[in-house]
Amino acid sequence: MSFDVLFNQFLSGIARGALLFLVASGLSLTFGVLRVLNFAHGSLYMLGAFLSYSIWKWLLIPVYGFYVATLLSALAIAGIGLLIEYTILRRLYARGWPEQLLATYALILIITDIVKWFWGGEFLSIPRPEPFTKAVFLFDFPFPSYNFFIIILGLVLVFFLWWLVYKTRLGDIIRAAAHDRDMVSALGIPIPWLFTSIFVLGAFIAGLSGAVTAPYGAVALGMDIEIIIECFAVVVIGGMGSLPGTLLGSFIVGQVYSFGIMYKPELALAFIFMVMAIVLIIRPWGIFGRPER
Amino acid sequence: MILETKKLVKEFGKLLATNNVSFSVNEGDIHAIIGPNGAGKSTFFNLITGYHFPNSGKVFFKDKEITKLPPYRRCRLGITRSFQITSIYPKLTVYDSILMALLSRQKATLNLFSSAEKYFREEVWGILEDVGLADQAHVNGDSISHGDKKRLELAVTLGTKPELLLLDEPTCGMSPEETESIMIMIKNLVDKKGLTILFTEHDMGVVFGIARRISVLHQGSLIADGTPEEVRASEEVQKVYLGGAA
Amino acid sequence: MGYFREAGKIGMKANNMEIKTSWLKSSWWIILLIAAGIAAPRVISEFYLLILGEALIMSLFALSFNLLFGHMGQLPFGQAAFYGLGGYGIAMLLTKYQINFWLSFAAGIGLAALAGLIIGIFCVRLRGIYFSILTLAFGQLIFVIIYKWHDFTGGDDGIQGVFPPEFLKTPVSYYYFILLVFCLAAFILWRITNSPFGYILKAMRENSERTEFLGIPIARYQLVAFVISATFAGLAGALWAPFYRSVAPSTLMWIKSGEPVMATILGGAGLFFGPVLGTFIITFFHAYILGFTHFWPIIMGALILIVIFFLPGGVLGFIKEKLDNRKKKEQQS
Repeated sequence: MSFDVLFNQFLSGIARGALLFLVASGLSLTFGVLRVLNFAHGSLYMLGAFLSYSIWKWLLIPVYGFYVATLLSALAIAGIGLLIEYTILRRLYARGWPEQLLATYALILIITDIVKWFWGGEFLSIPRPEPFTKAVFLFDFPFPSYNFFIIILGLVLVFFLWWLVYKTRLGDIIRAAAHDRDMVSALGIPIPWLFTSIFVLGAFIAGLSGAVTAPYGAVALGMDIEIIIECFAVVVIGGMGSLPGTLLGSFIVGQVYSFGIMYKPELALAFIFMVMAIVLIIRPWGIFGRPER
Repeated sequence: MILETKKLVKEFGKLLATNNVSFSVNEGDIHAIIGPNGAGKSTFFNLITGYHFPNSGKVFFKDKEITKLPPYRRCRLGITRSFQITSIYPKLTVYDSILMALLSRQKATLNLFSSAEKYFREEVWGILEDVGLADQAHVNGDSISHGDKKRLELAVTLGTKPELLLLDEPTCGMSPEETESIMIMIKNLVDKKGLTILFTEHDMGVVFGIARRISVLHQGSLIADGTPEEVRASEEVQKVYLGGAA
Repeated sequence: MGYFREAGKIGMKANNMEIKTSWLKSSWWIILLIAAGIAAPRVISEFYLLILGEALIMSLFALSFNLLFGHMGQLPFGQAAFYGLGGYGIAMLLTKYQINFWLSFAAGIGLAALAGLIIGIFCVRLRGIYFSILTLAFGQLIFVIIYKWHDFTGGDDGIQGVFPPEFLKTPVSYYYFILLVFCLAAFILWRITNSPFGYILKAMRENSERTEFLGIPIARYQLVAFVISATFAGLAGALWAPFYRSVAPSTLMWIKSGEPVMATILGGAGLFFGPVLGTFIITFFHAYILGFTHFWPIIMGALILIVIFFLPGGVLGFIKEKLDNRKKKEQQS
């Protein structure tokens, strides 16, 4: 097992981890503040991918088409998130987690059929956008330069979220609300508005991450469940509702996935589960999570 | 000594909630823990019952160390606590709640096939009589008065057949008449069933009315420990309560 | 726990009143239903008999789910894994290794129970949302394993040629087999929910922390319930495979896990027979819809949302509440 091969896999793992962080961060953010676990987060991701494909196809803008489509798609998904939060989720905050889970589960079912209706059961993809079309050679191994785009995007998101949560007023409110929702409400901050904003932000990130997946060529039905399971692994390992935890969890799952694929492709998911199982035995609330009590 | 703690320490981050507390409870006693708000009474209770584990120090029950045992094991050994927040099983009837406690105490609960109702009929009615809830046996837990909820809480703890009963503010929120009857009930339980009771309270009337030993906590430390007279006379205690106890 | 309060409130009232009424008076309708079940083959066509058989199997699946949901207060999303393992167990032993039908049947159930034990050990360490996530994840893992292990399980193609023994080969005879197993299994589950164990589960649902302080190791009890639930789900799956004559990976998909969920909340999670009613409604409705469209998931999703918002106690809960209100009015007048 030579160094170049390992390095290549490591970097692939970073790219995978970056993508996972893109998706999982929205989930984590929503859970941290709203205390609602959006099962349908993966569905929004999938919808973002399909929508981006269609927008790109329709726009036919050379060179920048992909980026425009990505942005438009993310905005559209954010709008859908607004619709979901306003019509469905908002009425369920007062009720318990069972209803909230059931409702978001229902949304997975609904969205999956919507995608099937509009796009059918095919595999779709968008060609890699400029300037990331070619592969770069690292130690004689081809490495898709598009991966660098994902990694950069991931880093941008990390810094954006870090800035948002730790350096802005909204961030203070987010952290306070994650800690004690009633207190924040008592301070006169309109909770419904806060919740809607966070949910919409989460949806935007989900749509965005879905859209940037399109050039990988795996836009198909079933990606909603695939990604949500991996997101669950990320937050179980890293700790629910903790952004540093999500970052660490994404990194770990990305690496396990990458090296798992190298070792035995069919078992990649099983390896992720093994890590999740180990974390559950040693520290059930995740590495950066807080115990229930 | 039925219960003993040795140098118990509990920190929450920088907050020292329990500071080196060594204390003991004698069998058959009615022992009160008092102290101003924030003195660490709840935390101390939690350390004894297993809700929290201490940073250092030990807890012994009948000479057996229980410091790191989970709550359900302590209950099975004979320590049961009541909770301040009442309405434990809002949608179960009074009868069922007590039956629950009895079922859990015995090995009966991995029984998958017999009908639960057949069990412990006499014991449940006995406890219902003891706490005075016999006429409300089939009312739901959330439909009874506040005072009765406290009685139900007490009844459920009795269902676990404890030797040491930890009561967390048993008369909280009660009217003077209800408080009086609870006090009598507690005294009877100790005499009739040979229980030991350790309780926390804010109501000094109750404390000095039934307690035979009193321990005083202040900012996590034990500042007095003795008979009611000794505690009443203690200067430390008077200082802490700004003008002495009632 | 608001949902369980709503659903359970109705169930609790019903259960309390049943303590008072005599056994025979309250179960005349069960006897009626069983009689109807026995008479069914003479009255309805084979097509509807097959749907009825399916409804019974899926009702059993839903009952196994509700042990964990309505009764214990957790929401598992991966029960199809146990259902599918039951089906695959019997299918593989029967077709690949030519093992006797009854042994294969038992083995299918055993496989589901074993999987329930292993998966349960991990899942019961968590509660609430975390439990739900993990069950979904494990359910998907089992699905992926079966789907990808082409050489062993046939992968995408599934397994065909799963035949019941000669005397059960006709639709009518197998239907009676299903009816018999269903009645026995439902009876056992009923006894379990009314046993001391069942009572403890209820208490855990209402207030698990408090129950821990009464001397119950919560995780251990949840594990037992989990294994029981998996076993009965596996039983349903083992009934299904010879009925349908084949198994496919789609039996283990996450969408399949959603069917008992939907059926239960539609019928009413707070009452023992709620899941059965919900399943019957859904199964016949599904058969009807299949004539028009294959877009069943969106209908499922919409139904779940409708029930959550407008019918929290489910159909049976709604009916019981109306009956109770009428009884109350009669008592007052």
